[in-house]
Formats: sequence, C-alpha cells, structure tokens
Amino acid sequence: MTMSKTLYIDPKEIRKAGEIKLPTIPVMPYDKSIADELASGNFTRDDLLRIYRDMFTIREFETMLNLVKTTGGYNGVPYNNPGPAHLSAGQEAAAVGMAYNLDTDDFIFGSHRSHGEILAKGLRSIQILSDTELTKVMEEFWGGATLNVAKRGYEGHDVKELGIRFLLYGAIAEIFARETGFNKGLGGSMHTFFIPFGIFPNNAIVGGSGSISVGAALYKKVNRKRGIVVCNIGDGALARGPVLEGMTFASMDQFRTLWEGDMKGGLPVLFSIMDNQYAMGGQTRGETMGYDFAARIGAGFRPDAMQAERVDGYNPLAVIDAFRRKKNALLRKEGPCLLDVVTYRYSGHSPSDQGSYRTKEELEAWQAEDCIIAYGEKLIAAGLATQQDLDAIQQQMKDVLFEMYKLAIDDTLSPRMDLVKQSELLGDMMFSNGSADTLSDAAPEVNHPMEENPRVKQIAGKERFYKDAEGKPVSKMKSFNIRDGLFEAIVDRFYKDASLVAYGEENREWGGAFAVYRGLTEALPPHRLFNAPIAEAAIIGTAIGYAMCGGRVIPEIMYCDFLGCCGDEIFNQLPKWQAMSGNILKMPVVVRVSVGSKYGAQHSQDWTSLCTHIPGLKVCFPATPYDAKGLMNAALQGTDPVIFFESQRIYDKGEEFHAGGVPKEYYEIPIGEPDVKRTGKDVTFLTIGATLYRALEAADRLKAEFGMEAEVIDARSLVPFNYQPVIDSVKKTGRIIIAGDATARGSFLNDLAANIADACFDYLDAAPVVLGSRNWITPCHELEEAFFPQPSWFLDAIHEKMVPLPGYIPATNLTTAQQLLRAKQGV
Amino acid sequence: MATTIIMPKQGQSVESCIITEIRKKVGDKVSVGDVLFAYETDKASFEEEAKVEGTVLACYFKEGDEVPCLTDVMVIGAEGEEIIGKGQQVNKSTGQQAGEIASGVPSAKQPVDSLTCGLVDPITSSLSSEQAFASPRARRVAEEKGIDWRRLAGSGPEGRVIEQDVTRAAHTQGALSGKARAMMAAEGLEAPAKGSGLAGNVKAADLSAGLKAEVSQSGAAYDDVPMTNMRKLIARAMYNSLQNSAQLTHHLGADARRMQALRKQAKKAYEEGRIDANITINDFVCYAVIKALRQFPHVNSHQLGESLRIFKKVNLGLAVDTERGLMVPTVPGADDLDIVSLSKALKKVADDCKKGSINPDLLSPEAASFTVSNLGNYGVEIFTPIINVPQSAILGVNTIVPRPKDLGGGVYAFVPYIGLSLTYDHRSIDGGEATRFLKTIATEIENLDITF
Repeated sequence: MTMSKTLYIDPKEIRKAGEIKLPTIPVMPYDKSIADELASGNFTRDDLLRIYRDMFTIREFETMLNLVKTTGGYNGVPYNNPGPAHLSAGQEAAAVGMAYNLDTDDFIFGSHRSHGEILAKGLRSIQILSDTELTKVMEEFWGGATLNVAKRGYEGHDVKELGIRFLLYGAIAEIFARETGFNKGLGGSMHTFFIPFGIFPNNAIVGGSGSISVGAALYKKVNRKRGIVVCNIGDGALARGPVLEGMTFASMDQFRTLWEGDMKGGLPVLFSIMDNQYAMGGQTRGETMGYDFAARIGAGFRPDAMQAERVDGYNPLAVIDAFRRKKNALLRKEGPCLLDVVTYRYSGHSPSDQGSYRTKEELEAWQAEDCIIAYGEKLIAAGLATQQDLDAIQQQMKDVLFEMYKLAIDDTLSPRMDLVKQSELLGDMMFSNGSADTLSDAAPEVNHPMEENPRVKQIAGKERFYKDAEGKPVSKMKSFNIRDGLFEAIVDRFYKDASLVAYGEENREWGGAFAVYRGLTEALPPHRLFNAPIAEAAIIGTAIGYAMCGGRVIPEIMYCDFLGCCGDEIFNQLPKWQAMSGNILKMPVVVRVSVGSKYGAQHSQDWTSLCTHIPGLKVCFPATPYDAKGLMNAALQGTDPVIFFESQRIYDKGEEFHAGGVPKEYYEIPIGEPDVKRTGKDVTFLTIGATLYRALEAADRLKAEFGMEAEVIDARSLVPFNYQPVIDSVKKTGRIIIAGDATARGSFLNDLAANIADACFDYLDAAPVVLGSRNWITPCHELEEAFFPQPSWFLDAIHEKMVPLPGYIPATNLTTAQQLLRAKQGV
Repeated sequence: MATTIIMPKQGQSVESCIITEIRKKVGDKVSVGDVLFAYETDKASFEEEAKVEGTVLACYFKEGDEVPCLTDVMVIGAEGEEIIGKGQQVNKSTGQQAGEIASGVPSAKQPVDSLTCGLVDPITSSLSSEQAFASPRARRVAEEKGIDWRRLAGSGPEGRVIEQDVTRAAHTQGALSGKARAMMAAEGLEAPAKGSGLAGNVKAADLSAGLKAEVSQSGAAYDDVPMTNMRKLIARAMYNSLQNSAQLTHHLGADARRMQALRKQAKKAYEEGRIDANITINDFVCYAVIKALRQFPHVNSHQLGESLRIFKKVNLGLAVDTERGLMVPTVPGADDLDIVSLSKALKKVADDCKKGSINPDLLSPEAASFTVSNLGNYGVEIFTPIINVPQSAILGVNTIVPRPKDLGGGVYAFVPYIGLSLTYDHRSIDGGEATRFLKTIATEIENLDITF
C-alpha cells in the first residue's frame, strides 16, 4: 500500500494569471420581526419570554457581582470578593442568542468575560434536558454536594426551577472560591465551567480558547461525536497569534482534500467573536486593529471566508438566526465558520477600570438601545407580554439570585477548601495519575495488521542489544535504537486506542524530521496521523482541546527551541486544567519534544528546566532505547500531560544497559524513577538526557587514570522524581556531580543539587556540583565542546571542588571563584 | 636583610628530608649558585644552591639530621648582621609564617594566649583558627571514629578537611571501645593515638579532657605527664628494636590436640600429686621451642651488627604483663630442664616480676638468647611481636582456634590449632631457615614426647 501525496502542484496552474475574488460578507442581514418569527413557527411565546428571562438573569448576575466589587455587598448583604470580575453587562443578547440553538452535545469555550455565555448555555441546557436527565446531572455532580446547598429552602417541585438554582449557585460559589462550586472553587471567575451542560473552560488568557476549541472540534470529528464546538472569543483576541494559528489549523485544506470517507469535510467549529468594541482600553475598530469589521478576517482563512457574517448582537433573535444557519453549515461539514457578533460592554474591563478611554455620551447612546429593554419593548409591542409580566420575570430571577448569593457566601454551607489543614489536598489534584489502555470504545482504525507494517518488519530483523551473541558491537543499521523504541511504544498504542492521534510539522510521509514515525503513514489513515501547519501554538492548543474532550494525543514540537512558540499553551493551559477543573478534566497529552544539536543558538537548546518549573507537567528525558520505550508506554498509558524530551544526539543509540536488550513485549517504566546505569563507590554522577554518555566516558577515565569508581545514575524523568536511589548513592559516595545540557543558571540541575544537599547534608564530603552548559548562546557545532558539559569537566569538577586527583591538570576552570565571577558578569 | 634558607618541599608526599652534607659552614662566604647543602628524600638526592650572596650566619642542623620540609636550615646575610626569628617553622595547617606571629601582629581571630611564645604548637594554632572547615561527611565520620578533625590538615579544596583525611587519621589512632566513644561524645574528651587496651585499643580510661574545654579555661591544650622510668625503658627498647633491626614475622599453626591431651594428663597428675607443677599450655610451647632451638643454633643468638653470637645454652626469655608494664625475665639454661622444672622456673620468674622481686640481671635483654611472648590467653589470633634486641628472634604464641584439617581418606574435621608468630631479624636469619625453625616448633608441639 502506498500513501504518498495525491496532491500535485502543477506549475502551469500555479503560475496562471487571474484574480482572487473574495466572497461577500453579509452585515446585519437579519430583518425579521417577532411576528415573522412566530408566523414561521421558529418560536413560541414561552420561548420568546424565556429569552427575556435568560438575558435578564445574566444582567442581574453581573449587576450582583459589580455591586459586590464596588459596594461590598448585594441587597444590603455584605460580602468581599477579592477575586477578579470581568463583567459582560450589555452583551446578554449575544450570549443568549449564541446558546439558543445548542444542545448539551454542543460545546462552548469562552474568554475571561464569559459569565453570560456560561449562564446562557446553562439555562438553555436546563430547558432542553428532560427532568430525569437534569436530575441525574445535578445529583451526580460532586456527589450532590452542589445541589444539596442549592436546593436549601426550595419548596417547589419544578426540576427546571431547581436546575436554575443549581446553575446560579454553582457559578456564584465557584466565583467565590467555594468547594461546592462547579470546579471546587479552583477555577474562579475566569474559569467557571460545567462540562455536563457542554460548557467547557473559559480562559483568562485572551484568545486562549482560540486553539483549544479547535482541538475539541478535532476530537468530535475524529471520534465521530455529535455536536459542534463554539469558540467564544473577544474582538481583542483576534490580534493574538495563537487565535490566528487556531483558525489556520481549523481551516486546513486536508480535511477536504486528504481525509477519507466520512472523515472528509471541515471541522465543526464556529468562531463566535463577541465583538464588544474594546480590547482592554484600546478600541479594536479604528485603533488597535485594521480589519474595519472583525468579520473580514474570515476571508484570510478560507475561500468561503468561513461563511463569515456580521451579526446584530443587540438583537437576540438576529443572533439566534445566524447561529442556527452556521450550526447547520457545520453539521454539513462546511466548517469552520465565523460570526462577528456586534455588541457592547457597559462595564469597564474590570471594576477598577474607570472608562477613561470612552465618553459618557457613547455609553449612554448604547444604553439607550439596551438589548434587554429593547427586546422587552418588542415583546410588549407584539402583545406577548405586559410590563407587569416582564417585571414579574425580573423579580422572580432577582429573588432566586439573591437566595443563591446568600447560600454561596455562607461559610458553613459553602466552605472553601482548607489547604492549610489539608496541606496536600491541592497537590494531590495536580495530576490525575490514571492508567488506561484506551480512551475509546471504538475499534482503532488502521490500514493493516501491525505485523504487516514495513517498519515493524524492519525492526524485527534488528539486534535488540548493542552487542550480538558473540559480544561484538552491532552496526548502527542493525541495532535497535531509541527511535525504534519510541516507534514500538507509539505504534502499539495506535493499535490499542482508537482515540489516539498524532500530528506535528512533518509527521506523515516524512515520518518525522528524525524518522521516529517512519512506517506510521502506512499504518494509519490521515485523520489519525497528519501534518500540522507550522503553528506550534495550535499544535499544542488543539491537543489540549482534544484531550479535554477525552482523547489521547501526541503533538510534536520538532525542536525544543520552538517551545517558545507555544509558551502559553505549554505554561498556562496544558498544566493547569486538571487542577483548575477540580479534577473533572484529564489531560492525556504526550508532547514529543526533540532537543537539537549541531544547529546553533536557536536549534540546540535544552529547555527541560523551563518545563520542570511549571507545576502540572510531567517531564521525562530518556537516553536509552529501553527507557525510551518503557517511558513512552507509561506516558501513553497515563492521563497526565507529559513533556517527553528526546535528544537528536542519540536517536541511533543501541541498548547498552538492559541485560537481554529491549524486550519485544509491552512494558512500562514508571515516570519518576531514576536508574543506576553503573555502580561505583567514590563519586555519583547524576545525568539528564544525552549527558549520560559523556558521564560514562568520564567514569571510564576516572577509573583508568585515578582508580576511582563513579556511580552513574540516569535521571530519566525530571517530574516527578524519586530521590531515594540518588540519596542512597550519595550516602555511599559522599560526592555528587549533577550534569545536563541545559544552560546552568536557573536549571533543574540546581533544583536536584539543592534537594540532594538537603537530604544528604551529613553525608556529603563536598557540596553537590552542577555541570550545565555555559550561560551563552549555543555556539555552532564546531564550538560546542566549550559549551556543553564534556567528560573532562567531570574530572575537573572532582579535582577542583571535591578531592584533588594526583597529578591531574584541569582543562577548565570550575572553581567557585570563577563561578562567582561569571555570575557577577551575568554569564 | 638576612635571607633564611628553608628545606624545600620536594613533592606533595615528602614531609621531611635528611641533610647528607653541609657544604657551607657558619662564617663561610657564599656566591649565588654555590651549593649550600645536599639532602635526600627516600627516593632522590638534591642540592640546595644559594640564591643570594653573603655569609652563612647560622646553620641549625648537622649532617644526618632529618629536617621537616619548609623548616629553616640556614641564614645568609651580611657579616655581623643580627638574625631575627631564628629557626622557625612554617605553620602548615594555616599557611601562616610562624615568624609573623612572633613579630607580635596577632590575628584578630586568635586568642592572645597562643601568641605568647614564638613557636606556636600546630595543634593549638589550627584549633584557634576559625578558618578550618570540614565537610559534613568528614565531621560525621570523625565523630564516629572519635577523631578531632580540627587537628587534621585538609586535603580538599581550600584546605577543607574531607572524608579521606579523617579515615587516614583513623588508621593512626587506636580503635575506640564503645564506652570510650560514648564518653568522648558526651564529655568532649579526646583519644590518644594509641590506647592501653590490646592492640592499642583506646579504652575509656585513656581518654583525656577535651581540648575545647581547656582552651577556654587556660589556653593549655594538654597535660604533659612524665613517663615512668619503666615506661621509658620499654619505650626505648621497643623503639630501638624497630629502628635498628630488620624484622619481619612469619605465621604458622600447629595441631594442638596432642598438647591439649598432655595438658589434661598433666592437670590430672598435678591434682593427684604425682607432679608438683600445674603445667600450662605455654609451658608445653616453651618446651617445644627449646627443643627446636637446639636444632637451629643460629636462631638462639644475638645480632651484634658485625657478628652473630650463637649461644650454646638456651636462655629463655618470657614476656610478662605486669601492672608496671611489660617485663621480660629470663630462665637461664632452660634446655637443661624437664617439663616440670621448666614450668616451675617460668612460673617463678613471672611471679617475681609481678611482685617486683625479680633479679634485675634477668631482665636485661642480653640475658636471654630467645624470647616467647604469649597472648593466646587474651584470644589474640595473630600478632607481630617485637624482638627484644639484640636477640635474633621472638616467638609470639596465639590463641587456639579450630581449623579444618584433612584427616586423610577424604575426611575433613575441625581440629584445634595454636597460632605461632615468629618475628626474626633478617640480618641474622634468612626466611627459609626461619620457616624451617617455625615448622620445627610446630612439629615438636604436635609430637611432644612426655608422659605423666
């Protein structure tokens, strides 16, 4: 079977003259009256009154929070809310209109100003769920803990009324950091969400949802799940690279050109731009952006301009109409789509914002057209309600909200987590530490039985230990190496877990820039293994969304240096959502990161330390085929985000340590267990990644020239890390050198050194010595020996900082004095 | 200004050198390049050349003297010039010139008491210096082994005392008894290099008051306890023995079954009044030794340097542990005695030593032609006795331990063996002869022909 590209780039076609025609982007196309809508049967009177109710509920909710922030209480009941409150008063019609056509299988993602969207989607879900379903959701959530408080004092028997109490209470309690809140109070105002209603995380990072939501749509498509995904982001977010990368990813032609069968067609994602005119204090239209209308950016991504429209976000019926049409387009696989929902926020960015950037007249002009008042007037004009009816709705919702407010601020009924008494509680929530062969019930889609795979056949002929039966070293070509170890673990999982997908910048026919995936193209259909655009933020961001929805994914960052291009996703998103969701979400993402060499300053950096610094990431860095396969298996079996480092220096290393070679069978090496690669009694070398082999070389020299025996320990994992084997070693040797290729200043090596000094203080004969790279740019390959730790550096360190080696002449100056001088100079 | 010539340090491990020749004497004029003196280490010879010209104003050593490295040897200056800070030593542990201290510039960190004399005791000075550091591991090991790390010169970076310094020092300090270790930790006492216990083990009674406490009180860091004459005698004898002979030790075991059987018979005979001495294992060994000495006259001798004095009779010395110290009385003409008489004679001289009534002539090393030292009663399994010079050899008798033995026919059994350790002066006897002699003792022990 051949899976070569079918797309032919024809120079004649490509070079032909012509012009690019952009589609027309409709602006405010909605022109129906309430009477029209009633006549066409789109709404009943109850539907239209409920739209009013929902909009008012949001307004009162935001009013309540604003009063708490600005007056220290609500309806005379004082409360201090020190947390943030980014309010969306003014945007109610946009939120309610967005949610109206969505059911619980449709997911929404939001921004930091998403209270309205959450409430709108929640209220709509309560309306469309059956009483039985709704009761089940409420009773099962936190074992009924949220419902038990929300139903206090409720004497009615209406499940939907109870549902509204539940929604309002759960959201307020979350915003006020109560354990009974939707996310145990760990998310707060900007991360309040409720998965059973299809409400996925909103995001405190502007545009954070721009790529995550696309990953959710990818999950729905690949796993054939019902529903669409709505990405609610502000107009300010359109300036952000990750949002544009997410849109790029969502727009990829391959969904239509290369994906096969029922997979052919666009992603079911709708970019819903809550266009409230302001990005912090800057005006998007006319000041900080140049698009004139936000809807125009759709034209930059797809020939159909993502079917973009500019919608009147002050008329809920206009928004409902637009979302209904776009949802249908997405279900026809015409995605992605984009709506520019024009609205206006009355409040500042936050209560501390004095609104100095806009005039009173502007605010009053918008308030004169207030979406709730205007809609109420239309209902009265259409004879569907009297002012008294509307007042009654308002009073009813105010009363419920006030009740829920009082319950949420009651420290007895709505306690906070006691992280002082239960000092490890939040720590225990940082990782899910799950173990699952597969995250899908489906049969994995593969092109042929695994044993027919050409790579699998090729590997079968390889020696699995670096020496053959006669003890002769095996040639590189015949030796089972680290890339083979990684391949075996990954292909095994592809055949076990139908949800597993992998993508990166060269993952398919190329087989990955470093050939780890060679053979996978033959095994897998395009929707399980594909090339992503050169968009690291989208590669990681979509993986986060994919995993949040329940799938397993291996995104690849081709060079470690490019971690900087997906900084938000790696540092703010991937590690955070398991704990921020109160452990509702899992994050089974294994990010493969290849650490370069020979490629100079922007392609040869080891950034393991940056990843270890971020709470919530597991980090490993195997250096042998046995460890690579075992750790990759463990990473893929787990449910946590793992940054899986690989070194380009040693992809072709054979197995030199594990007796009997790398097992053919499945096995796991627990993440977090260092491994003693060589025993010794005089000094311990603890290494990270490829530095292992230079440490072994140093150990050989130490033995041959000075009769000292080094114990060499390979860290294998950085987070978590079991210090015990290292402590045992240091208690024996009294000396330790900790070495890795990361630049020394601020590196994880220092963390290891500090903890070892702490744990082994009375056993140390010298302070732990850290051998990292120099605090320079990585020079060209020819100059690298001066930069990365070398075998001689180990001897230098022993001689200069631990115990004099008779007659030894150090090659480098590792003395403390020199170290301090360099620090003083900042290098 | 006068220039002081010091003994150079030739390599890290060299601590002192021997002056082999002094070429310039006090009053001699020297020019640059003149050889002042020649000296040697145990590995090579060197000459020290003058780097300044002038007159030799002082020379502190004579030919043959062993001089610690970095010690002043000579002073060269203008004729009649006064010498300041004469004959001082570099304080190795702090790297400070002792002369600097003598010139009255006290370091702020040093107690004034330690500056009152020109020559600072290295121990005191290193103690009073706050610049001494030890690794945590070295401190821990030092505590375990009862070593005061502050006395040690550190070999680690910046002179830090590291583990290897402590373990080396531990080899030169006697092992501590459990009680001694506990007392050291609890009371800050310190251990001597060698204790009064067996094999130099440091016992609780050997501990002296800790330095820490005494420094804070008076500045005197130790007590000088004068040695008794007895102690001096032993010290001199032992030291001379090791300095002036070429001694080494062979160890060999003898099947003790025959001897143990005889001992039972003798005991019975004594109890039944058939003999008038309670014959001990040691008596039997001495009896066997005497028989062996008859066959090896070279061993029954005194080494006189230019000649060997071979005795016609066996004058047997016996090492006796008394309250006053080690004594070695002699039984003259021991080869004339049967086993009962020998036993009685040995018992008499030992008793006389313990009572203090021993004839001093019998204690002279020259009185005995060969000595037996028995530590078997104490359970010692192997040791290297020191020759009571000018005798040519000494036999150490060890405890009896069971050892596997081929009884023939593929049968192995544990049989009691008595350990024999022969130290001999290689100047008198060669290894082959010594081995044959030792083997003969064993054979005699195994085949004692005595009936009771």
